[in-house]
Amino acid sequence: MTGKKAFQVFHTDTDQILDLNQYAGEDFSQAAEDEKASMVQMHKSVSYWQDAWRRFRSNPVSVGALIVFILILIFSFIGPMFIDYSYEEQYRSSQKLGPMEYSPTEQMVITLLENEADAVYATSLNAGSLSAIRKGDWFIRQGSQTYAFHVDKTIEKATLVVDSDSDPAVYYGKDKDWDEETKSYKEVTPIETTSEPAEGAQELKLSKRVFPHVFGTDSQGRDLLARCMYGARVSIIIGVAAALIVLIIGALYGSISGFAGGKVDFVMMRIVDLIYSIPDVLIVLLLQVVLKAPLQAWFDAGKDPVSRALSTLGVGIVSIFITFALLYWVGMARIIRGQVLQLKEQEFVMAAGVLGASPGRIIKRHLLPNCVGQLIIQTCLQIPSAIFLESFLSYLGLGVSAPMASLGSLCSDAKETFLLFPYRLLFPAILLSLIVLTLNLVGDGLRDALDPRLKS
Amino acid sequence: MDMLGYTLKRMAISVLTLLLVAAITFFLMNAIPGSPFMTEKSTPQQIALANAKYGLDKPLIVQFGNYLKNLAKGDMGVSLKMQEGTSVSKILFGQGKFVLSMKIGLLALLVAVIIGIPVGVLQAYYRGRWIDNILRVITTMGIAMPGFVVATLCLFEFGVTLGWLPVQSNSLETFGAYVMPVLTLALNPMCRIAKLTRTSMLDSISQDYIRTANAKGLKTRVVLFKHALRNSLIPVITYLGPLTAGIITGALVVEQIYHIPGLGNYFVSSILNRDYPVIMGTTLLLAALIVIMNLVVDIAYKIVDPRINITKKGD
Repeated sequence: MTGKKAFQVFHTDTDQILDLNQYAGEDFSQAAEDEKASMVQMHKSVSYWQDAWRRFRSNPVSVGALIVFILILIFSFIGPMFIDYSYEEQYRSSQKLGPMEYSPTEQMVITLLENEADAVYATSLNAGSLSAIRKGDWFIRQGSQTYAFHVDKTIEKATLVVDSDSDPAVYYGKDKDWDEETKSYKEVTPIETTSEPAEGAQELKLSKRVFPHVFGTDSQGRDLLARCMYGARVSIIIGVAAALIVLIIGALYGSISGFAGGKVDFVMMRIVDLIYSIPDVLIVLLLQVVLKAPLQAWFDAGKDPVSRALSTLGVGIVSIFITFALLYWVGMARIIRGQVLQLKEQEFVMAAGVLGASPGRIIKRHLLPNCVGQLIIQTCLQIPSAIFLESFLSYLGLGVSAPMASLGSLCSDAKETFLLFPYRLLFPAILLSLIVLTLNLVGDGLRDALDPRLKS
Repeated sequence: MDMLGYTLKRMAISVLTLLLVAAITFFLMNAIPGSPFMTEKSTPQQIALANAKYGLDKPLIVQFGNYLKNLAKGDMGVSLKMQEGTSVSKILFGQGKFVLSMKIGLLALLVAVIIGIPVGVLQAYYRGRWIDNILRVITTMGIAMPGFVVATLCLFEFGVTLGWLPVQSNSLETFGAYVMPVLTLALNPMCRIAKLTRTSMLDSISQDYIRTANAKGLKTRVVLFKHALRNSLIPVITYLGPLTAGIITGALVVEQIYHIPGLGNYFVSSILNRDYPVIMGTTLLLAALIVIMNLVVDIAYKIVDPRINITKKGD
């Protein structure tokens, strides 16, 4: 019984076919297309990437991590467009605010807006505006109206209010005249306006809302949300760039060593072993201090375009890149060498060699593309470790320096006042941990998806 | 005999590595701009005089040679700045810094191994169940959280809010002072060990000899710890080398946060102060620790795993 079943695939049950003899010719008709299709046993061929994507998708943890990471990317790269503060501007009178707190001036502006002022320009909201407002003529646009005005040089600190219902429509009130009980100014000074702005007048942007300090502010009055977004951006960029440096050097070194084999391979790998056994962090700390001055001198000279481009990054970041280029490529090189050693014994490499391809071409066109899975996995796992190292250095005060910020330097800034303002450390620290966590999980998922043999 | 040959070869490589570290540190350190004698009041003559006194006016290569010669005699030079005139070996060993850091480091190492391995075994045994999932989330988070974050959070929670443990550990006079530095230092390596153990346990659990052991009716505990764990420990042993390096790195931050006057804390300030002999001495000492640990691990690895045939004779 079981035997018949097992062979059914090869020998069709003849009884069934003989049964068909009792039907007349007109009982048969041609099979429709979809009926034919159901008989086809072939599956659509699945490419390596489709297969990998399918495997990646079936791993809920990695997919979740990827989504969280994309959200962090949106937060740090697109987020700054939606908040009114910049990472470096120091907002006077807004120092040391807690999350969602407003400074007295901001509170006043909010009250003015609630009392139906069309717009408010609080000079003290913005550090640069006090001097700017004295510079001469200004104009503001309010709906279809344009008001040009001149502000008295004697104003120290005042709030400019536009309220079309009141007369005069544009006035300023000094902060000391603000009456908290009646929510109005005891005394206001009308501003003389004309509808035609003078030549060269500057436009003054009026704020119609006060954006909350979602994460609070630091001791210098910088908005922490803006700084966290910026810091996350810097950290991610450092991580990606460092990983790319490692990728390029490691892949080239590893593939050359593996392909060359013999003595060259031996010498190259002993160099790798030696660098591998050097305690990296000790050297990295030294490098950070050593590189600072020569790099600064090179940037200050600013003769060639390279140094000018790099100087926008700052000394701290560039020296982190140099450190990675010097010390951290060895892991990648070892893995790629291993892969190349396996691959170069295969027939297609021999075929390419027989056809006269140069070693460079074989490495570039045949060997490296076959290592692409490993390259992606290793690069992806390198990013969090680069971010980790950068934050460690910045925390010790050796990485990026103010006004630039990375998540590590934000944590470092917060450590002195940590007991008073714990949230200042908490927000960047959570963000940093989330980035490292999600990238590690995505990397693990990629490894399972791209190289299923390693799956454990 | 071959084991001896291998050991000797590995030792030679270790010495070479240490020499390389010494050379890199020495030349890098001298590339740090500014002189250790530079203060606001000092004149160029004074600096030149001080340079001559400590032999800093000679060519770099000669200085390096002299340093190595003295090092062989056990003389690591004297501090130029932070504790002027005190010999470096006295600063490192005589003032309790080394002992203090070693205490914390070794304890952290122990905690990491003693908790990490059983957690990994537990995860492998309950693979895919809720206990495995929860522990996996915790270990992954432990790996992702930078040491300074963990340290400051613990400080805030247990030191300030709850007030259970002292905020500043200082010289570790009380038991409570040990708890936070050791745990924060151990967390990251502990999670890594747990992850590693889980992976290799899963590997060995699926082997035939485990099925045989189970079929013989042995207790689960015996099968897990005696049959499976022994073979799974090999990758964990190889991790002990990088783990030592990790603990030393972590100590730089942890000692700073808990105000422990240990070696890590002193190393960071010696770099910022450009105290050459102290930088040199500390780097060499820490590097020696890491290199020795790597050496021990490599040799232990060959002893523990007879499948890796280093003799290549097959007998």
